[in-house]
Amino acid sequence: MSAILKDEGGTAINAPKSNREYIERLMETGDCVRIEQEVDWDNEAGAIVRRVCELAAPAPLMENIKDYPGFRYFGAALSTYRRVAISLGMDPDSTLPEIGKEYLKRTNGEPIAPVEIERSAAPCKENILMGDDVDLCKLPVPLVHEGDGGRYIGTWHAVITKHPIRGDYNWGMYRQMMYDSRTMCGAVFPFSDLGKTLSEYYTPRGETMPFATAIGLSPLAAMAACAPSPIPESELTGMLAGAPVELVKCETNDLLVPANAEIILEGEIIPDVMVEEGPFGEYTGYRTSPRMPRVTFRVNCITYRNKATLTISNMGVPMDEGQLLRSFSLGLELDKLLRSQGIPITGVYMHPRSTHHMMIVGVKVTYAGVAQQIAQLAFGSKLGPWFHMVMVVDDSIDIYNWDEVYHAFCTRCNPERDIHIYKNTTGTALYPHASPHERKYSIGSKVSFDCTWPVDWDKVNDVPTVVSFKNVYTQEIQDKVTGNWEAYGFDPVK
Amino acid sequence: MNKWEVFVDDLSELPEGEGLELTIRTLNDGFHKYTYKRVTAEVSKSLDQYADSLQVRFGRGQLSDKKYSINILGEIDRFPNYQ
Repeated sequence: MSAILKDEGGTAINAPKSNREYIERLMETGDCVRIEQEVDWDNEAGAIVRRVCELAAPAPLMENIKDYPGFRYFGAALSTYRRVAISLGMDPDSTLPEIGKEYLKRTNGEPIAPVEIERSAAPCKENILMGDDVDLCKLPVPLVHEGDGGRYIGTWHAVITKHPIRGDYNWGMYRQMMYDSRTMCGAVFPFSDLGKTLSEYYTPRGETMPFATAIGLSPLAAMAACAPSPIPESELTGMLAGAPVELVKCETNDLLVPANAEIILEGEIIPDVMVEEGPFGEYTGYRTSPRMPRVTFRVNCITYRNKATLTISNMGVPMDEGQLLRSFSLGLELDKLLRSQGIPITGVYMHPRSTHHMMIVGVKVTYAGVAQQIAQLAFGSKLGPWFHMVMVVDDSIDIYNWDEVYHAFCTRCNPERDIHIYKNTTGTALYPHASPHERKYSIGSKVSFDCTWPVDWDKVNDVPTVVSFKNVYTQEIQDKVTGNWEAYGFDPVK
Repeated sequence: MNKWEVFVDDLSELPEGEGLELTIRTLNDGFHKYTYKRVTAEVSKSLDQYADSLQVRFGRGQLSDKKYSINILGEIDRFPNYQ
């Protein structure tokens, strides 16, 4: 077993290791509301989660689901930065830069390998349905949004697969719609890890691919499944949690799954039949991707915990965890990528309200073309399909302060010189601005905005002076004015 | 009487009096609500023509104000190799 990680203060990381432990922590801090009255799985539960996201309200734990006694829902698991901090075992009031710094520190360390445990010790094996007993409708699969193409069982989960040659595991959050009692279908994009494995290996051979879907993961396992990191998700989860993840073997295939997940669905991805999937409310805040035949999953076995909790993410307009967490981890993984290439960046931030479409990068400008270099590296990376805008500002701008970034964008970005468009790139079917043809074939386009001053401008005579309280007045005058602020008759500045 | 729903891009995909192949989902109350099956069927704009009703949605989930009745002629097994 790997050593337990310590945080910056030298104390052991105290992150919740399961979904249940996480809910308890949220209850203690007032970040979760227990709903005891009956909630309908048909739209009502989804509407509760959607409203929670739009109001940044506490996460709902619904304990009485119509038609499904003995099951629970937990929604909007990580749709606020407070909850992200709690999931990492940090002070709930930690700032975003503090949370980001901690994420980078933990994920830049040594990977922590998972450990396999016996079936008898795995909570996810408390109930097992096989053969004719398999019926997805025995689970409280919600209709998340009115008008969705179906009941979505996989909205906050991990689809677990193993590469047939390399043997490496992939945990991915590929949405899954219930088609019938034994069948699910989902959006698996061709550039994704699973999409590539299917198109390169299984589909040409006409072979089925084993899969397992784990629902009700620990928050950090869900974070890892969402993160576009090159580190295997089970190891990344261990790094984030400071302790190994416990895995257990499936009943009907050799895949290993998180032992404390609430629900496990085991089965096969079938290569020769695709059924209609969608539409679905998506992280961009729209229903965009067309209803079409998509990757199809046949379920052979269902295992679940007693009083199993099905996790629900309700994607729509900001902010839900789809935007918040993906922006968080995508930005930080891009930060790692750029630093690994020696680019003199000061930080990367993706505002969740951009639905992780815009990457804001701070850079210490020491040579010409650094903004385009950043954009080309970011767009050309494996992460590139998930965003299409890069905005580069110099290190005088606080990348977390949209007022400052917006001001720099509107005043320093020369329309002729500093805006660069990249055509015929990889995109996603979920881009609302893409044409139907582009969505069908995952064709994208991208743009970068260089909001830095040109390096060949004379810093004294060519670069304009920022006119602000902090920049144009002497420290003596600033101190005098701030010191007398209330004496002038103003309210104190918080 | 059963209640069904179908997704189409355009109502022209639902000509009357022809044998159609459709993917429909049940709107009957119960825990199988919204599950799908592939069927051969005929539809009519006359709500009294057939015993079952058919509600229509478009590709982004918008509900059509046009209602149909439907007669299911048979079920198509989409997974004959995966029982």
